[in-house]
Amino acid sequence: MTGHSPSDPPRDDDDRVPNSNQGMTALSYLIAGILVWGLIGWLIDRWLGTRGIAAGIGAVLGAAGGVYLIVRRLGG
Amino acid sequence: MIDQPTILAAEFPPSVEDFFPPSLAPWGGDSPWVTRITVMLWIATAAIIIFFLVAYRKPKIVPGRLQWIAESIYGFGRNGIATEMIGHDGLRFAGYLTTLFVFILVNNFFAILPFFQISPNSHFAFPATLATLTYILFNYVGIRKHGVVKYFKNSLVPPAPWYILPLLIPIEFISTFLIRPFSLSVRLFANMFAGHMLLLVFTLGGFAMINANGLLAPISVLSWVLTIAITLLEFLVIVLQAYVFTVLTASYVQGALAEEH
Repeated sequence: MTGHSPSDPPRDDDDRVPNSNQGMTALSYLIAGILVWGLIGWLIDRWLGTRGIAAGIGAVLGAAGGVYLIVRRLGG
Repeated sequence: MIDQPTILAAEFPPSVEDFFPPSLAPWGGDSPWVTRITVMLWIATAAIIIFFLVAYRKPKIVPGRLQWIAESIYGFGRNGIATEMIGHDGLRFAGYLTTLFVFILVNNFFAILPFFQISPNSHFAFPATLATLTYILFNYVGIRKHGVVKYFKNSLVPPAPWYILPLLIPIEFISTFLIRPFSLSVRLFANMFAGHMLLLVFTLGGFAMINANGLLAPISVLSWVLTIAITLLEFLVIVLQAYVFTVLTASYVQGALAEEH
């Protein structure tokens, strides 16, 4: 309806939007990582009666996993 | 201190109560179905439908002004969002994405429209419903294209050695299926809520100061001048949030349709 046909070649500036969107994906991986494994660690804490050690290890592991996912899914 | 006449009797500071205008239901009572918020929703919906119907009523090859505006909006939704984010497949979603963009934009715009001054999207139910639609949409197209098993395998199992998969799969699950709809709805809701709150604080704060002490009048004026500046800023937020919501919806659909990550 407008002058463009859907088969237009991609323009040079078209990676602007995916970039901002990748930022949000990266952030959500990081938060999810810390949240999930922190929570699992906290549950282990309650189970073993330790006081926050497992939660701390879990949060660090989760952050590492999040970073790994960001690199694998979004990197190069 | 001079005895100052009260210029405007308004509660300060503003509270969440300000987001719940009284019921306008003709049958009286405390009905939540007919309030300023729902009336705005109906107005927005009707305005969008009527605008596009009128603009496309007699389409011409060389478009008139109204048709040109409507075509530009649709062209932006189709080329700027749908095909740009999803690729050729995105053409199927151009109609929905454009509608979504226009709907959010118009509803957001009530936040700075004189005499309305509050956006329906500052009520969590509206962004939450829209995010639910997005959630259903991207899961549905993904499952339809790949089948249940392959779709969940695609979205949950990242390319990684098997021994870290137990660490990664829960992260993928939370990130894709829980944080996505949550952040999508909260982003829009919080922006519109905070925008309205900010405008209330600066407007009512001006009145509160001038009522408290006449000597504070210059600061009140400054506060109202800032209200205008914040209104302009709000306009930016309104357009940006409508765009972000639509682009993220398109990106989720694209992710669900993608073959491999």
